[in-house]
This record gives sequence, structure tokens and C-alpha cells, in this order.
Amino acid sequence: MISLALRTLRHRVAAFAGAFVALLCAAALVCACGMLLETGLRGGVAPERYAGTPMIVTGDQFVRETIRKPEKTKTKAKPVAERAWVPASLAERVRRVPGVSRVVTEVTFPAYLAGRPFQGHGWESAPLTPFTLRAGREPRTAGEVVAEAGTGISVGARVPVRTPAGTGTYLVTGVTSQDLPGQDSLFFATAEARRLAGRPGQVSAIGVFPAVDVSGALHDTTALAYTGDERGTVEFPDAEKARVKLISLGGALGGTSLLVAILVVVGTFALSIQQRQREIALLRAVAATPRQVRRMLGGEALLVSVVAGLLGSAAGVGLGFWLRSRFVALDAMPENLQLVVSPFPLLAALAATVAAAWAAARLSARRAVRIRPVEALGEAALPTTRIPPGRLVAGLLCAGGGVALTVVLSSLSVEAAASPVTMLTALVWTVAVALLGPLIADAATAVLAVALRASRVGGYLAAANLRAGAKRLASVVTPLTLMVAMTCVILFVQTTMGHAAQEQAAAGTRAGHVLGPHVPSGAAAAVRKVPGVEAVTEVLHTSVRVGLDKYGAQAVTPDGLGSTMDLGVLSGSLDGLDDGSVAVSRTAAERLGVTVGEKIRLTLGDGTPAELRVIAVYARGLGFGDLTLSHALVVPHVDDPLGTALVTAPTVTRADLERAVPGIGDASPAAEAGTSNAEVSYVAMGLIIAFTAIAVVNTLAMSTSARSRELALLRLVGTTRRQVLRMLRLETLAAVAIAVVIGTGIALLTLSAFSMGMTDSPVPHIPPLGYLAVVVTAAALALLATVLPARAALTGRPADALGARE
Amino acid sequence: MTDVVRMDAVSKVYGKGQGAVAALREVSVGIPRGSFTAVMGPSGSGKSTFLHCAAGLDVPSSGSVRLGGSELAGMDETALTELRRQRVGFVFQAFNLVAALTVIENITLPLRLAGVRPDRAWLDEVVSRVGLEGRTGHRPAQLSGGQQQRVAIARALVTRPEVVFGDEPTGALDTMTARDVLTLLREIVDATGQTVVMVTHDPVAASYADVALFLADGRIVDSVTAPTSEQVAERMTRLGAWVR
Repeated sequence: MISLALRTLRHRVAAFAGAFVALLCAAALVCACGMLLETGLRGGVAPERYAGTPMIVTGDQFVRETIRKPEKTKTKAKPVAERAWVPASLAERVRRVPGVSRVVTEVTFPAYLAGRPFQGHGWESAPLTPFTLRAGREPRTAGEVVAEAGTGISVGARVPVRTPAGTGTYLVTGVTSQDLPGQDSLFFATAEARRLAGRPGQVSAIGVFPAVDVSGALHDTTALAYTGDERGTVEFPDAEKARVKLISLGGALGGTSLLVAILVVVGTFALSIQQRQREIALLRAVAATPRQVRRMLGGEALLVSVVAGLLGSAAGVGLGFWLRSRFVALDAMPENLQLVVSPFPLLAALAATVAAAWAAARLSARRAVRIRPVEALGEAALPTTRIPPGRLVAGLLCAGGGVALTVVLSSLSVEAAASPVTMLTALVWTVAVALLGPLIADAATAVLAVALRASRVGGYLAAANLRAGAKRLASVVTPLTLMVAMTCVILFVQTTMGHAAQEQAAAGTRAGHVLGPHVPSGAAAAVRKVPGVEAVTEVLHTSVRVGLDKYGAQAVTPDGLGSTMDLGVLSGSLDGLDDGSVAVSRTAAERLGVTVGEKIRLTLGDGTPAELRVIAVYARGLGFGDLTLSHALVVPHVDDPLGTALVTAPTVTRADLERAVPGIGDASPAAEAGTSNAEVSYVAMGLIIAFTAIAVVNTLAMSTSARSRELALLRLVGTTRRQVLRMLRLETLAAVAIAVVIGTGIALLTLSAFSMGMTDSPVPHIPPLGYLAVVVTAAALALLATVLPARAALTGRPADALGARE
Repeated sequence: MTDVVRMDAVSKVYGKGQGAVAALREVSVGIPRGSFTAVMGPSGSGKSTFLHCAAGLDVPSSGSVRLGGSELAGMDETALTELRRQRVGFVFQAFNLVAALTVIENITLPLRLAGVRPDRAWLDEVVSRVGLEGRTGHRPAQLSGGQQQRVAIARALVTRPEVVFGDEPTGALDTMTARDVLTLLREIVDATGQTVVMVTHDPVAASYADVALFLADGRIVDSVTAPTSEQVAERMTRLGAWVR
């Protein structure tokens, strides 16, 4: 049967082009996602600053929890958000370990030069790389710095540097020979660096020469020794975070695209079988058993999918690199985290493509073997619109699954959990619509026919065609619905979240001025002294873990909090927020099961445990963070203690503030973390939207070009080209209308459930212009995919087209 | 003479309950080996259903169909397919050929599906008998309507079936071409003893047969041996009057 399949394939290139393109795109997407996933699982970054040190001792960068089950015990680890420091005294203990010839300590802190971020270190840690001087000399006094090569700073310059300790002017005494690609460093005199870092008695890392077993010296501390590429993960904590993100993103994107691929490929296969109904009936009548027909269709699918899979996975490698470059540009992935390139994603993509095609062929073959051989005889019966019972049951089951998922989604209040479920919910609903398609098409055409008859010729014919070809209409409506639903969900999940957070932040911010970013505490104190200023609240954002679960947190200075920020306190009070207390949002309180007065154990950003008493529960968690901690508690446990400041001063203008405390308003406010997240989603999920768009074009082009005989007949009986084209356009617009209604319905259901879970309001935020753009794009794509093949089919003499065998 | 096809009290009812329509009512008939039979009748008389039931394309609601000694009742779709493959050849009105395959591949398609190697000499004889020498490498789209029907006839003959069924085999052809195809069928019956059953509504086509059976309202109402087209036309007119 394979040779027969091959013959058919070669003869019907056009019919299989649709399935081929769909499979190719699926393979490319799955391969690219596989690369991201693999990078997330196995990727590492090579050390730069620690490259010259065989072993680095620093704090444990993970929160670890032992989960005990009756049968086994396993330890789970999650990365902490900030760098974990170690006591400086540890350096001396490590140095005394036999075999250690030398230890080098390092402190790391943020330093901003006109808003540009640098990493500040003491010159003591230069041997870790090692850094050597190309020009000038090392910093000796508190007012001197050495700049890394490639930063454009030259010896002799006086530069203003803002650090957690405030802003100061430094004389550049030297420039290094080395220029590290992943960072820009400023080296201060050792004592000055320790002062600026603001963590007396602590260091961020200890370099050990040579690498020997130092576990004896570390046994009663949280510190760990890192060698090889592990040093890179310590040096670049961002890379670790990016890896975790890549795992979830790659998984979600790959899974979604695979499901979309199966849906699209089943659609194209089903359409091509519908178009070959006569041929299959003939084969059945002449001598092919149902099994042989199944094997022939399976063989075709196999051939198409292997070729599409091979080409697609090759294209996927390119797509993977493109995605990486986009993520790097969006700061979602550090530049030095290289993609892991191995044959696994290629093989996985090929296997997934072949499996998807095989599954699709199997599903469509169920329809094919139902074609009765009798249909090859004489005048074939009109395609029936009756849904086979199996399909009806599957459709109803899918609808049931959609209901269940929607209910589950409406109770999910964590974005990480809600996002994949949102996609799945929209997909399951679409599958239900696809399965019940002919029923829906029947119902919808009955309604639309009334409107279509307004156009006397084109509309009349279109209405007749829609009614007669409910099956064909259903096969066109499915990808259109998928596109509308997925696009709306992908776009408007982000706007719903963003809008809710913005609304809460706007409603809860009472301060008239927002200063920042990177406001040192000293500057905030100076602002407090400006006449007319009522209150200043310093705000820092970090994340903490309760158990292994991550919570976004803000740290605020408690004085005058009530006049700068209104968190919408529901119970308890924010007065008396101190080092031993915490306020939690309502969603977080529900997740943690705590009320005012109870205690929670949490792990601060750098892995330091803390036990805090809940003093308040508030409503505006989305806008401000799930936990609110005291500024003083958090500052020693974050990498960058420079935050923003909220200032309530009704009588003072911003210009006055800037005049009183220079340099607080010079930098433009940094983009919120949320928007970068949204852009990453847009890039990744945009690929899925593109995929569904290709599917739409595909299906419509297939459907239209298969009707050339019918179009020729219409022209022979006196329909003009213009009337035929209008008829086709109206048919497509009717399909678009049905798809927009159903797709919007699916999207609204899904988004409402998502919104209910995340923001407690069932009303998602859908910008009207954005929605309009989705609808117009869908309609334009669909029309283009109809009219172009139709024009091609209408060229030439209609009699020739009619004479040509099917 | 033995009967190749034997139908006993065959009925076929479509639909259920109130909407049930009987397409065949208690039809009993035998088709003798080596005969050329034409099945005539007005539209809706049940002649297509008769052909489907006789050829194993459809299963009767009641009654017995024996094809070359095998009882069709109780066979599943795969068994029916294999029986058709070995014992029955088909020539349809149109859409007879697989467009992707050449003439010779179309002719040998049933053999390929059965996994049987073609008998070279028989294949050559069949091809020359239908007059397709030199065209075996063509694709269906390159042939005229009459030539396509010749390919279909060759395909029907290649498995040496017990019986060849034709469903309006000349329905889509012009008069001259139709005459050529009918002459070919007649020659095949005469020269090789092949049994042919053909459904038609064309009295001229029926005149090529040995026997014409007349169906009306699901029953065999008449039969004429060695019919002429005038006889057939006259019977048909009367049948039409009965049905109205």
C-alpha cells in the first residue's frame, strides 16, 4: 500500500500541501520549544569573573525541602531570588584547611553610573578572574575606583557613582586589561567596597586556591563549595532563574503547539479525505478492504510527516535561535546562557510530528472507511451532515472537559498555574467545537441564510452552498475559531492581568510623586526633611518562598505608610509593621491558610529563614505584591537595596524635590517586571497565533481550489466571474462570522474564569481596538485565502475546467 | 447451464418504521453462466439496489444471495471485499479510474490489492482485447471517455471474475462511443464466456444483451429473451405507465 500511497501523494501534491505545511510548522515549533526546554534542563553558563578560581565558596542558592512519603523520601530544591552571602570569618576557616594555599574574598553590590548598572567589587577580588591593569594603578583610597575595560571610562575621569550607601564622586585611577562580556564591573578600594555593600562581616563569595575538599570547614554553615560550571551559576543567578523560566515556557509552548498541530492536521486530513471520497469509494468497490484503505491513508500520512518533520525540525533549530535572541533582547534570558544544541529536540520533533500525523490519519480514516463502496456508483449521494454517534459522544465529553477546566481555572490564583490551564481550556473548548462542528454549522447557517439572501445572486448561491455543504463549512470554521479563540486568550490574558494590577496600583497609590529607580536610603532621608513633605515610603521588590512556593513581595518603610499607600486592608492593621511581622494579600492568605495573628515561616530572598507574625490581610495583592514586609528586614537580604520612593507632599512640586535632593529623578522609571513577562509571552505565543493563521489560510485555500469544477459549472450556466467571487467572499465571511462568534465565546469563557481566579472579578479587560484588530485580521486572512485560489481556478475556459477529471 | 448469481426472495428496505422504503421486494432470479443480462427499469424501480445486492456491495434486508456458490448473507465487510476482489468485476458510469495511476496500474489495481502477481499473458490479452495497446503508460486524464471505459472493462476482466457488473457503463458516453463499448462487451461474452450483468435505461444498450429483465416498484415484472431495442422501448413505455 505504501507504493500506492506514494503515487497518490505525487499526483495530489496540492491536497497534501496543506497537511505538509501544518506538520512542518508543528515540527519547527516543537523543535524550538525542545531546544528551550533542554537548555532549561541542562544548560549552564561558563564562569567569567570566577574563571581564574578553581573553587568558589558561597551560600546555598537553593531552598531545599525534604518531602517524606511512605515509600520514599526526596528532596526538592528551588532557587532563591537573591545572592546568598556568607560570613567573612569563614574565609579564615577555609584558609586553614590543609592544602589550601590562598583564599580571596569578594563583595558584590550594585553601582549606577548615570543610570547604567555596574557591579561594584573591592580590588581584593581581582585575582578571582584574574583582573590585571592595562593602565593606571589600583584604587588605594576611599575615593578611587578602577573601571573594567570596554566601559568607555578612562583614567583620570571623575565619575558620580550611586550605591546603596548614597551617591559619591570617584576618581578613576586605573582600567583593567580584561573586558568580560556578561557584566560591567567597578573596583573600589577594599574597605570602601565593604562599606558600600552595607553588610558588615559578610562577603558574597570566597575564592579558594587550589580546589580541595573544604567540606569540613563548611559543615555547620549553609555555605557550599562550587567548582567547574557550577561557578557560573553562582556568578549569574539570573541564568538560574532564566533556566527555570525556560523549562516552564518551553513545556507550555511545546505542549500547546503540539495540541494545536494535532487539531490542525486532523482538520486538513479530514478535508483531503472528504475531497477524495469518490476515489476511496472506488478503491473500496474494486477490491480494497477497510484495513487496506486505512493502511494507505496511514502510509500517506507517514510519508508526508517524515519529510515535513525532517525539514521542520531543521527549521526549528533556526527558530530556537531566533527565540533565544528575542528573549535576550527582552532581558528574559541572560546573554551568556547559551542554547544547548543536541539531536534530542530534533528527534523529539520528528517523533511528535509523525505521531501527530499518524493519529490524525487514524482519526480521519475512521471517516474514510465509513465511505460505502456504493458511493462510487452512479450519482453519489450528497454528503450527509448527520454526526456519527462516536463523534457526538467525544464532542460532548470534550465540552464536559471544557466545563471542568473552566471551573478549575476560576479557582486558580497563581499565574504560573493559571497560564497553562488557560491555554488548555481554550483548546479543549475548540476541540469540542470542532467535533460538534457540523451541528453548529447547521444551526448557524439557518440564521445566516436570512441575512445572505439580501444579496440576490451571490448571497442566494452562498446561502445554498452553506446549507448543502455544512461539513465543508465546519472544516473551515474550526481553524478560524481556533485562531480567534487562541489569539484573544493569548492577548487578553496579559491585558487582563496588567489592567488589574495597574488599576490596583493606581487605586492604592496615594503618594503624589514616585521617585526612582535606584533611590539610596540617604536620598530618601533627605527628601523626608524637605519642607512640605508629609511622608516618604521606600519600596523594594523581591520574592520570598514559603516552603517551596514563590511569592512576590514588597518591602516598605512603615513610617507614614498610610498616607503614601493604601493596600486595602481587610483585617488587622499595617501599623507596627516591623522586623517580626508581615502583611499578606487575601489570595496569599487563602493559599497559605493564615489569618491575622498567626505566624508564617518563610525564606527571604537570599535564603535566610524568618518567622513572621501576620498583622494584616489586604486586598490589592496584584498591584503591590502578595506579601508586604518591613524595609529594614529585607534590605540586608537583597542584591540591590536601591528601590523606589513614594512621596506624599501635596504642596511640593517634583521640580522642588529634585532641586532639594539632586539626582533622584534623573533616570526614567524602569519598566515593570510584568510588562517584560508579557512581551515574552507575546513572542512565544505569537508563534502559536501564526501557526493557527497558517492553518486558516491552508484550509480555505484547500477548500476553495477543490471546487474548481463547481465554479466552472456556475460560470457555464451564466454566473459572471464577479458573481462567483462575491458568492465565495460571502461564504467565507459567513464562516468568519460564525468563527468570530464561537471563538469570542470560548475566549470570553476562558478569560472570565482566568480573571475570576486571578483578580476576583469575572470581567476580563479586552481593549476594543485590540479585539477589532483580531477580527479584522481573521477576516482579511480568510478572504485572501479564498479569493486568491478562486481567481486561479477561474482563469482559463470554464469548459476545460469542467472537462478535467476530478 | 449453472447460475453464477442466484437470488432468492431478496428484499431490501431502507430506513425504519414509518419512513421505511422497500427498494426490492422478494426478488428471485438466476443469472446463467456465460450470459449477457440487461437490467431495465424506470428511475426508482430498484435496479441500482438490485445490482448492489447481487454484487455484494450492499447487504439485503432479507433473502439469500449466492455468488458463484458462496452465500453472501452473514459476511462482514472485509469478507465481502475479498469476495468482490476475486469473483466480481465492476464498470461504473464515471469516476472509474484512480487519477494518480497509469492505465496498466489501474488495470492491475485489484491484483495489487489482493497481493497477486499479474499473469503476463492474460494481461496482454485483456489489453489487446479492449484495444489499449500502446496506451498503457498514459494517465486517465490523457484518455477520452470511451478509452477510460475500456480501461475500466479491462480492470474488471483482469481477475477472471465469475461475473462483471456494469452500472450504466455507457451512460456518460456519446452514441458512437457507447456502441463501441457495448460491442466490446458483447464480444467478450461471446469469445470468453464471461458473464455480464448490466444496469441500463437505454433500450439500445439492452438490445446487445441475451436477456432483458424489467424491474418496476422493486419487483421483476417481465423478461425478454434476445430483445430488440424496439421491444425494450415498448415495454419501458408500458412500465412507465404502470408506475405513474
